[in-house]
Amino acid sequence: MRIGQVIGKVTMHTQEDSLTGARWLLVNPVDTAQLNSCISRQPGLTSQPSLVVYDNLGAGEGDIIGFVEGAEATAPFEQPTPIDAISLAIFDTLHYEAPTH
Amino acid sequence: MIHAQVVGKAVATAKHPSLNGFKMLLCQQLDAEEKASGTPFVAIDLFGAGMHQKVFVSTDGIEARGIVHDDHSPARMFIQGVIDS
Repeated sequence: MRIGQVIGKVTMHTQEDSLTGARWLLVNPVDTAQLNSCISRQPGLTSQPSLVVYDNLGAGEGDIIGFVEGAEATAPFEQPTPIDAISLAIFDTLHYEAPTH
Repeated sequence: MIHAQVVGKAVATAKHPSLNGFKMLLCQQLDAEEKASGTPFVAIDLFGAGMHQKVFVSTDGIEARGIVHDDHSPARMFIQGVIDS
């Protein structure tokens, strides 16, 4: 899963029937340099494109979440559901050390 | 399958129920010259991979659903093996 910060939410007036009751978050992926500080500090917007993520964990603005994109995002649903990104975890701690060679 | 190095760990209390009991590690993809490529991602760890160990990470969602024993899990990345050399 990728790591991103919730920077807002999306509400829709009209949406596909299967999505009724869904919560949508606006998520900005976190950059490598921000990984160690993003939980305690607002990391700020990155150059990576933000995306809309389906959420049923209850993540709120400012939270650092793990999300999955692609076909796996639809796995939790019984019916075919047009969802491309879903939240999997709200992180309490992240520990990062730069790779060695 | 992604060639990666373990670069950290992640802890989450609120997570998809299928991930309960699994360790989550931060992994950094490596390119052909073993340089870091892209932003680190989180993978489920099955083997107790250690910090800075080189690993292979599977991106196969069907396999991942088998590993967490949940047909409705959105899990995808998991560490498939630890590389010795």
